[in-house]
Amino acid sequence: MRSDSLSAALLALTSGLVLLGAAVALWRRTARGIVQALRVQGFALAGTAVILGVQLHVALLLVTGALLIVVKAFFIPFLLRRLVRLDPTGGESDPVVNVPASLVAAVLLTLAAFVATRPLVQVIHGVPITLAPFGFATVLIGFFVLVARRRAVSQMVGLLLIDNGIGLVALLLTTGVPLLVELGGTLDVLLVVVVLRVLATRMHAELGDLDLDALRELHD
Amino acid sequence: MTIVFAAMAISGTLGAFVASASTARHRALVSAFSSAAASGAALVLALYVIRTRHAVHLATTSVLPLGGVDLHLDPLGALFVAVTAVVAIGVAIFSIGYARQHELTRTAAAAFPIFVTSMLFVPSAWNVTTFVFVWEMMALSSLVLVLGEYRRGSSVRSAGLWYAVLTQGGAVVIVLGLAVLAQHSSGQDFTQIAQHTGLIAPWIRGVVFVLLFFAFASKAGAVPLHVWLPKAHAEAPSSVSALMSAAMVNLGIYGILRSANTLLGGGPTWWWTVVIVTGAVSAIYGSIHAATSTDLKRLLAYSTTDNIGLILIAVGTSGLLASSGHRTFAALALFAGLFHLVNHSIFKGTLFLSAGSIQYTTGTRNLDQLGGLFSRMPIASTIFAIGAVAISALPPLGGFVSEWLLLQSLLHGLSSSTTVSVILMPLSVAALALTGGLTAAAFVKAFGVGFLGLPRSSGAAAVKEPPRMMNIGAGALGVVCVVLGAAPMVVIGSLNGAVQAAQSGQLSGVTSRGVALAIRGAHGAFEPTFIALALVAALSMVGALRWALTRRVTPRRSPAWMCGREVQNSRMTYTATSFAEPLQRVFDDVVQPSRDIDVSHRSESRYFVDSVVFGSQDKDVFEGLAFRPLIRLVRETARRSRVIQNGSIHRYLSYGLVALVVILLVAR
Repeated sequence: MRSDSLSAALLALTSGLVLLGAAVALWRRTARGIVQALRVQGFALAGTAVILGVQLHVALLLVTGALLIVVKAFFIPFLLRRLVRLDPTGGESDPVVNVPASLVAAVLLTLAAFVATRPLVQVIHGVPITLAPFGFATVLIGFFVLVARRRAVSQMVGLLLIDNGIGLVALLLTTGVPLLVELGGTLDVLLVVVVLRVLATRMHAELGDLDLDALRELHD
Repeated sequence: MTIVFAAMAISGTLGAFVASASTARHRALVSAFSSAAASGAALVLALYVIRTRHAVHLATTSVLPLGGVDLHLDPLGALFVAVTAVVAIGVAIFSIGYARQHELTRTAAAAFPIFVTSMLFVPSAWNVTTFVFVWEMMALSSLVLVLGEYRRGSSVRSAGLWYAVLTQGGAVVIVLGLAVLAQHSSGQDFTQIAQHTGLIAPWIRGVVFVLLFFAFASKAGAVPLHVWLPKAHAEAPSSVSALMSAAMVNLGIYGILRSANTLLGGGPTWWWTVVIVTGAVSAIYGSIHAATSTDLKRLLAYSTTDNIGLILIAVGTSGLLASSGHRTFAALALFAGLFHLVNHSIFKGTLFLSAGSIQYTTGTRNLDQLGGLFSRMPIASTIFAIGAVAISALPPLGGFVSEWLLLQSLLHGLSSSTTVSVILMPLSVAALALTGGLTAAAFVKAFGVGFLGLPRSSGAAAVKEPPRMMNIGAGALGVVCVVLGAAPMVVIGSLNGAVQAAQSGQLSGVTSRGVALAIRGAHGAFEPTFIALALVAALSMVGALRWALTRRVTPRRSPAWMCGREVQNSRMTYTATSFAEPLQRVFDDVVQPSRDIDVSHRSESRYFVDSVVFGSQDKDVFEGLAFRPLIRLVRETARRSRVIQNGSIHRYLSYGLVALVVILLVAR
C-alpha cells in the first residue's frame, strides 16, 4: 500500500516534469537552454516508464525506459547540440509570440487539456489515468512552440515535445505499449530528427540562417 | 433486348481500354470501331422500341451504389438514341481519316468511346443516380475531348475552362432539381417521381422547372448560357465538335422534355412562355452571329444556338397549346420540333465534318483565307453544299420540311386565342422568318466565299480531296439528310411515338397518306417527295434543253468581260468579312464588333503606306453582360480570401493548433 502511494507520487512527479520541460522550452530563449529542457523531459519520460515497470512488474517497460534514456535524453539532444554549434548566436531573439504571452498561452492550453480529458479521466479509474492531461498539455504546448518560435532548432524541439506528450499519454493509458511499437515510434522520431537536421544544415548553407521566415521568400 | 444495354456498355468501355493501350497506328481504328459498335447496338435497340412501342427495361443494384442502375428506354428516349447513334457512326468513320493528320492521344482515344456510349445511355436512364452518373460521364469525357488539341494554344484551354464551368454548374443545378423531386416522392425512380409530383406545391414545381430548364438549356446551348458553345465547338477537334453539336446538345432538349413533361407532368402558361422567349432570343441571336462570323466552325456553332432556339420555340408552343387544351396542335408543334431536332443533328453533323475536312486540307477555318475549294475538292464541297441547303431550309432537303411544319403549328396555334398565345405566336413567326433569312445569308457567305471564287491563300490553292474515310463519314450523313428531305415518311412513325410518349397521349402530330404528310385537325397536306421529284425533273429538263441546244453547234470559248480590268485576283473579290459587313452594321448593338486598322508606313517616308491590316472581331454581348461581372466577383472573392493564406508557416501551424483545440473542446 505504501509502495503504491509512493509510486503514485513518483509518477505524478515525472509526469509533471514532462509538462515542466515543455514549459521551460517555451520560456528559455537560447537554443542551448531549449535543448536542455528537452533533455530533462527525456529523462522524465524514461523515469515514468521505469516507475510503471517496477510498480506493475513488467520487465519490458524497463527496457523501454532504457531505450528512452538512450534516444531521448542523450542521442537526440546530442544531434541538436551539434546543430546549435553551427549557429551559435542564434537564439529566439525575436519570437513570433513573446515569452510572457507564450507562458500565459501555455497555461490556457494546459487548462484546455484538462477540460478535454475530463471524460477520459472520469470513465477509467486508476492513478496513471488521472495524469493523462499532463501528456495532452505537453502535446498542445509542443504545437504552440511550432507556431510561436522562429528558429529551426525550436521547430524540431516543438515536434519532439509533441512526440513526448503522445508517448506519455500512451504509457499512462495502456500502462506500457508493446515494445515493438515503442521501438518503431522512437526510431521514427530519430529518423525525423536526422532528416530535419540535414535539411536545417542545408538551409544554413543556402541562406546563412536558421530562421524559418527566411523560407517565405520562396513563395514570392 | 435488355442484353443490348450490356453490349453497349461493354463495347464502349472495352474500346476505351483497348484504345488507350494500343499503338498510335491502331488507336484511332479501335476507338472508332468500338464507338460505332456501341452505336450500332443502340440503334438496333432504339428501332426495336420505336417499332414495338414497348419500353425496354433493365434494373440492377449490383453496379452503382445509391439505388442502382435503372434503365428504361421508351419511344421518346429511343428517338434521341437513334439520332445519336446515326451521327456517332458517321463521326466514327470520319475520325479514322482525321486521325491520319491529327494523331490521337491515348486520353482522347479512350474518351471518345466513353463519350459516345454515355450519350447513348442518357436517354434511357430512369432514376436520378443513373441519370446523373451518365450525364456526368458525358460532360467529363466531352471536356477531355474539347481539350484534345490543347497544345495548339491558350484559346483551347480558355474554351475548355468556359465549358467546364458551365457544364459543371449546370450539372450541380440538375442534381439539385432532381434531388428536390426525389425528396418529395418516396423514391428516386422516374416513375415514382412522376406519380408524386402532382402533390407538390405549385411554387416548388415552378422553381424546380426553372432550375432544370436553365440547366438543360445551358447544355443545349440556348441564350444566355450558350457562351461556352462557340468557344468549345470552334476549338475542339472537328469530330468532337460534330458529336457535341449534333448529338450532345439534343440531350439538353431531351432533359427539358423529360423533366417538364414526364417528371413534372406539364405546367402552367408562364413555364412555356419562358421556353418560347428563350427559344426566340436564341434563334435570332444565334443567326445574327452566324451571319457575321468569319470563322467557319464558330459560324456553325452559333447556328447550333439558332436551331436549338427554333426547337425550343416548338417545345414551348406545344406546352402552351397543351396547357390551354389544344392537344391536336400541341402534338403537331412537338412533332415539328422533334423533326427539326432530327434534321438539325444530321445536317449539323454533315457540316461540322465538312468543316473538319476543310481544316484538315487547308489548315485554316478562317473563311477569309479560303475560296475556290469547289473545283479542287468537289466531293467534300458537294457534301458541304448538301448540309448548307438543308440548314437554309431550302427544298428538297430536311430543314425545309421541319421548318414548314413548325410554321404551320405556330399559325394554327393562333386559333387557340389565349392572350399569351395571341402575343407569342406572331412574334415567334417573325423570329422564325428573320432567323431563316439570316441563316440563308450565313450559308450563302460560307459557301460562296469559302468554296467558289478564287483561292485567297496558298493553303486554299493547293488543296486536294481529304482522305476517303473522311468523305465517307461526312457523305453518309449527307445521304441521310437527302433521305429525310425527300422521303420524310420513314421517320414519321418514330416521331409520332416520341410525341405520344412525351405528352403521354394518343395523338400523333402528322400522319402519312402515301407520300403526303397530313396535318391532323387542319385541312392541308404536304408532299415533300413530289417537291423533290419536281425539282429533279426541272433540273433534268434544263440539262436536257441545254444538251439539245448545244448538240449541233461547237461551243466557242472566250474570256468574260471584266469591267475593263486586265486581271482579276482574289483581292478584288468579296471576303467573308466584307460580305457580312452590312449585316454587322445593322446589328451593331448585338454583335458589337471591335475593328482594328493597323497602317504601317515605309521607313523612308510616312507618305507611303507599306501595308494596311484590317481586323474585326465580334463580341458576345452576353459574355460581357452576364459573365464578366461574375468572373470579376469570383476573382475579387478569391483575392480577399488570400489574406488567410500569406505563406507564413507559423500562421498555417496556428490554424492547425486552433482547429485541434477547438475540436478537442467541442467533441469531448
